[in-house]
Amino acid sequence: MNKQSLGYTIVFSFIVCFAFVLVLSVTHQATRDQVQLNQELRTKRAVLRALTIEFQNDEEVLELFAEIETVTRDGMELFRLTQDGETRYAGIFGGAGLWGPINITLAVDGSVETIIGLDIIDHNETPGLGGRIDERWFQEQFRGLRLVDGGLQLIRDGNTEGEDGKADAITGATGTSMSMDRILNQTLRDLRSALGGEA
Amino acid sequence: MSDTAVKDPGAILKTNLWTSNPIFVQVLGICSALAVTNLLTNTMIMTVGVVFTTAMSSLTVSLMKSFIPRKVRMVVQTLIIAFYVIIVDIVLRAYLPEVSRNLGPYVGLIITNCIIMGRAEAFAQSNGPILSFWDGMTSGLGYMGVLLAIAFVRELLGFGSLFGMRIFPEGFTPWTIMVMPPSAFFLIGLIVWVGKTIMHRQGEPVT
Repeated sequence: MNKQSLGYTIVFSFIVCFAFVLVLSVTHQATRDQVQLNQELRTKRAVLRALTIEFQNDEEVLELFAEIETVTRDGMELFRLTQDGETRYAGIFGGAGLWGPINITLAVDGSVETIIGLDIIDHNETPGLGGRIDERWFQEQFRGLRLVDGGLQLIRDGNTEGEDGKADAITGATGTSMSMDRILNQTLRDLRSALGGEA
Repeated sequence: MSDTAVKDPGAILKTNLWTSNPIFVQVLGICSALAVTNLLTNTMIMTVGVVFTTAMSSLTVSLMKSFIPRKVRMVVQTLIIAFYVIIVDIVLRAYLPEVSRNLGPYVGLIITNCIIMGRAEAFAQSNGPILSFWDGMTSGLGYMGVLLAIAFVRELLGFGSLFGMRIFPEGFTPWTIMVMPPSAFFLIGLIVWVGKTIMHRQGEPVT
């Protein structure tokens, strides 16, 4: 057979493409459930972290998450957890960062006066600068932070530890800090108007 | 390039790791060398992916070479390379989701890494499967070696850690520049300089 002929080239290309793509689809199908589970776990982990619920492994994540109710307020999907007579709400929110979207989970108390916790799902900020929003020290300063006038401020100078409505911004990452300030305050406003009806 | 004439596994190893190193002699695959070298763990996984892809695609191209019509040669090579890269991507996404997220689009971009296409076209197209596999693998290892060296310096100075383990004490001020892509330019420049200087001293013809 003439391997340079048009017919052979077309048949060959078709068979090769078909064979390789077939193997790929089979692999994709075989791992699809695992990939979906990974994505689900990612979101659930972030919600639990925002609600400051401790967990050790993936099984615990699913188990603990099962105790959380999903409610809809103002078209917002929120996660409600009632514990020791206190109601806490968490949700998945997002906004524009310096380089791309920042997606967060934020948990607040029922009256939106105190932040329970914050977790960053994903972001595209500069590694080592804005990317430090991933770090524990940054996220932990929002734990139990009491809001002032329903909002908060990220402060450049000094140490804001113990002060209401204030948290430290990240040195060298003004853009990201300002974005976080904006996203958090917007989220808090949205939460307040959504939860306002049932204080 | 003269290395198509090289048929001895030992000589191939030396050529690919040293005298014709893909990064500091051929200056190929620089995009990923800048992008994924700020954390050793990510670099390790990314370069293992490249070694796998280069080795397997060279093997496959070599096995199929007598059936491939000349007109669609490059397209078929690209298809084979893309196939292995997508396999790597799927496996990472299913079993190492964190790493997969950190590497982002760079796993998919292995397809465009010139080293892989270069080896398929320059070597696998005209050599036997086992030798091609070896050539692909050693080329990948040459790439891996340089990237790990860069990542070692960048993570150590940029984060004060190695493979995520803290090396420098808490008070260490990280060199932010090391975390950002430009630092890899300086480091690659230094590696090219040192590499070529040593080659020159050894009397190798410097290209």
